[in-house]
Amino acid sequence: MKAPISWLREYVDVPVEAEQLGQDLTKVGLELGGLERVGDDVVLDFEVTTNRVDCMNVVGLARETAVRYGKPLRRPAADVAESGAPASEVLSVAIDAPDLCPYFAARVLEVKIGPSPDWLRARLEAVGVRAINNLVDLTNYVMLETGQPSHAFDLERLPAPGLRARWAKPGEKLRTLDGVERELSAKNGLVAASDGTPLALAGVMGGGDSEVHDGTRLIALEAAYWNPLATRRSARSHSLHTEASHRFERGADPAATRFALDRIAHLVVKLGIGSVRPGIVTAGAIPAARHVVYHPQRTNRLLGVRVPEGEHRRVLVGLGFGVEGGGGSWGVSVPTWRGDVGSEIDVVEEVARHFGVDNVPATTPPASRPGRLRDDARFARRVRELLAGAGLHEVISLSMVSDAAQRGVADARVRLANPLSEEGDALRASVAFPGLVQALQLNQRQGRRDVRLFEVGAAFLPAADGGRPREVRRVALLVSGPDPQARWSGRREGADFAELKGLVDGLVESLGAPAPTWEAEGAPGFLHPGQSARLRLGDAAIGWAGALHPDVAAGFDLRDAACLAELDLAPLLAARAAVRFAPLPKFPAVSRDLSVVCPPGLSAAGLESIIRGAAGPTLRHVAFVDRYAGPQVKAGHVSLTLSLRFSDPDRTLVGDEVQRALEAAVQALAAAGAEVRGVA
Amino acid sequence: MADDPTRQLEERARAARAEFDAAVSAATDAAALQALRDRFVGRKAGLVTALMKDLGQLPAEARKAAGASLNALKQAIEGALEERQAALAAGEREARLQAERVDVTLPGRPIPQGGRHPLTTVREDLEDIFVAMGYEVYDGPEVEDDYHCFEALNMPADHPARDMQDTFYLEGPGGLLLRTHTSATQIRYMVENERPPEVRIICPGKVYRRDDDITHSPMFQQIEGLVVGKGITLGDLKGTIEVFLHRLFGPQYPVRFRHSYFPYTEPSVEADLGCINCGGSGCRICKQTGWLEILGSGMVNPAVFEAVNRRLGRNAYDPEQVTGFAFGLGIDRVAMLRYGIDHIRLLYQSDLRFLEQFPR
Repeated sequence: MKAPISWLREYVDVPVEAEQLGQDLTKVGLELGGLERVGDDVVLDFEVTTNRVDCMNVVGLARETAVRYGKPLRRPAADVAESGAPASEVLSVAIDAPDLCPYFAARVLEVKIGPSPDWLRARLEAVGVRAINNLVDLTNYVMLETGQPSHAFDLERLPAPGLRARWAKPGEKLRTLDGVERELSAKNGLVAASDGTPLALAGVMGGGDSEVHDGTRLIALEAAYWNPLATRRSARSHSLHTEASHRFERGADPAATRFALDRIAHLVVKLGIGSVRPGIVTAGAIPAARHVVYHPQRTNRLLGVRVPEGEHRRVLVGLGFGVEGGGGSWGVSVPTWRGDVGSEIDVVEEVARHFGVDNVPATTPPASRPGRLRDDARFARRVRELLAGAGLHEVISLSMVSDAAQRGVADARVRLANPLSEEGDALRASVAFPGLVQALQLNQRQGRRDVRLFEVGAAFLPAADGGRPREVRRVALLVSGPDPQARWSGRREGADFAELKGLVDGLVESLGAPAPTWEAEGAPGFLHPGQSARLRLGDAAIGWAGALHPDVAAGFDLRDAACLAELDLAPLLAARAAVRFAPLPKFPAVSRDLSVVCPPGLSAAGLESIIRGAAGPTLRHVAFVDRYAGPQVKAGHVSLTLSLRFSDPDRTLVGDEVQRALEAAVQALAAAGAEVRGVA
Repeated sequence: MADDPTRQLEERARAARAEFDAAVSAATDAAALQALRDRFVGRKAGLVTALMKDLGQLPAEARKAAGASLNALKQAIEGALEERQAALAAGEREARLQAERVDVTLPGRPIPQGGRHPLTTVREDLEDIFVAMGYEVYDGPEVEDDYHCFEALNMPADHPARDMQDTFYLEGPGGLLLRTHTSATQIRYMVENERPPEVRIICPGKVYRRDDDITHSPMFQQIEGLVVGKGITLGDLKGTIEVFLHRLFGPQYPVRFRHSYFPYTEPSVEADLGCINCGGSGCRICKQTGWLEILGSGMVNPAVFEAVNRRLGRNAYDPEQVTGFAFGLGIDRVAMLRYGIDHIRLLYQSDLRFLEQFPR
């Protein structure tokens, strides 16, 4: 809301300069959004919050100013010298829809249309309103001044000499002032002629047929109180937002209707534009003032400071509230322009605003319980620290993804009813795919090859009962391109399944959860079928990992292969085992290396299981230390070297025992088709 | 007297000494030193050894003094040899260390360098400040319903304040939506709270609005705080927010409160921080005002307590007895201010050129 300070000064003595006024009103809730010098004047632009439509006008701002500085408020002159035959002889008004319009008022003016005087044009233009002609300019001027929109009809162009407020019937048509022919619905309120002809979209915009023009002589000037919700729905149904609808939607002042008519009439006479027919024709009634019981002590308790009783009263009276009674419980009547005030707490806020938050001493409430970060939040922090420490960068990507792109992720997905675009028409069912793959794509397009990313966040899965989707907290990882840490050691190959698996297993181990089982079957279809796994913890599937399917990678136009994984965090958190100290071994361990040529179909896990089963409990530790596939072994076979460690907590193992265990392992391996090449 | 055997012995000793002194400083390795040892003090052919053997030819009265003199000579030679040997060893060690010199300006063998997202860093800092002040960190769902996101927050259908928060809705029945603010989570906590009316929580999380332009991201992050109990005041709100902002940004920045409007708090106040970029003199970041809008807050509107009570079917938060304050701020905004990030959308683009600027 723009207000020239000269206009404000007409209604209140402002004891400070414009800049200071802006700062002071900002503190009471009218934030200064801008300040502009126009000639000798200063135009202040206030950002008025949606509840304070009473400050969308100069008088309202002057009232706040008056209370702020303890000055009296002067109201605009509105005495009217009437002449001629009574207005009611040429104009009648009626309300057919009280739920749309509780009060409707009109005056009849005889005018000579022409340009407005320079001062009026200048003032309108200073606040960004285009001057049109003297009468329309006056209605705009008084709207900016009092907050009450009004509308001038050319009375002689009306199809019948009466105005009525009613709901539109579906299919009715009206050409509005912006030249648009509009089809109306039952949501639209109307000002209609007494014969039913639609004249204006009530509270939103006038109609073209009854518009004031240069030859207009007789004016029906209407000012009504339109229901806020009705105005809002009507304006929205035509995607309209006007100065009038903005005010009516937020609750205009029903009593300002008559005042605005008088003020315009006063100015019509004063500026020599014409004359005013005696009387205001009305229908309906101005709603009675609301009453609220107010306990000053409530404000004092809420603020934590004793506000003097006189200050409560000064602020309320200054803002236009009626105050009756005294002591602990006051009867307060709410001014008609304060539709936002309906309960005691609203009154409390008024006193608090003008008493001033600066006068409230700062305290801190004593803590009743210790602060706490929940286990899952601490766990997520640990996940982030570990992965950042392992060389991955955290990303946060949008939860909205293209549903087409995640078709392979889940059968049922959560779709948005009103997406911004097809790129974000669903909630992600996976954190890793396509989110991290798109992140890789973006970085590769910038020429980046080594990309290692992770994200911790929710995947959204439809609930079986159709209720709120499940939000599953997950960690997702992606590795692609050469390992940047490997340059010094000369290792330059790209990211592969082994790097990914190392990261995943290392993460899980550092988190204190048992190692997951990697199963070659059951991974999602967007992964390479031969380089992917479903991960299990006990019986529960907790995620998947693998190389991106080459066809999918080609679809993303990726330069390097990518490996990605996704794990649910909740089962990992639940599976964490308490750490228990194990006594240091008292007896030495015996180590042996074993080279085994495995036939196709025998997995490393199978191999380890055979060896452990045959060697017995003294085999404490098995580690895979080398892998070879090539000309030295048969096609399809792979040579694996394992490091085995034997020990017993209660005694020293004798050489024979280790030898017997090894021989048992070798025999069991042979039975499984694996040939032991050497023992060392 | 020229053939006096005593004098002759002394002459030979003097000559041996002179020869040794000249030779020892010329010896540059262990072999040369051994040769000197053999020549002068060697058991078989050493010159000094030979002189000592010749002591017997001297008259008895001269023998003792000459013997002492020869012993001193032998000890001096052996001492000089050891000294020289130590010096040579030190030199060799020094040469070896010099040969092992590395170029300390060469880069080291890198350890993995990943990083947390700057929003994570800021969020954890915020959490830590509030946990230390006795707050519980509470995490609510991102998909919400109309009750939690609007209705219970005193924003019934058709409320103009909803215009400011254009909402994403899910397909299907139930009117489910993506929460437009973390305020929804305070309702969820109050409903689930096992110890009403006591509440002291913060709720960080993602929120969503149907805005997508240069200054907005359709997803961003907020943190909401809620304190409820008997006797909670606007003064408590002021003190809490001042302490919090000073811990987050530093005590040198002033905090300003001004009245505002939110449907779910009354009175409502916004907190501004003296501009951390210009120190209050006015710059682009603070739009020349010297102040940064940082946080919205207020005293919980009794209508919110009443909405929660209706859902619970009991007067768990009696508005006649219980008061509270709530506040909310944008994590993105804090991160952008702290790091000088000028575009919010950079936060969500997963661009390594951006992410790598934030060490973990």
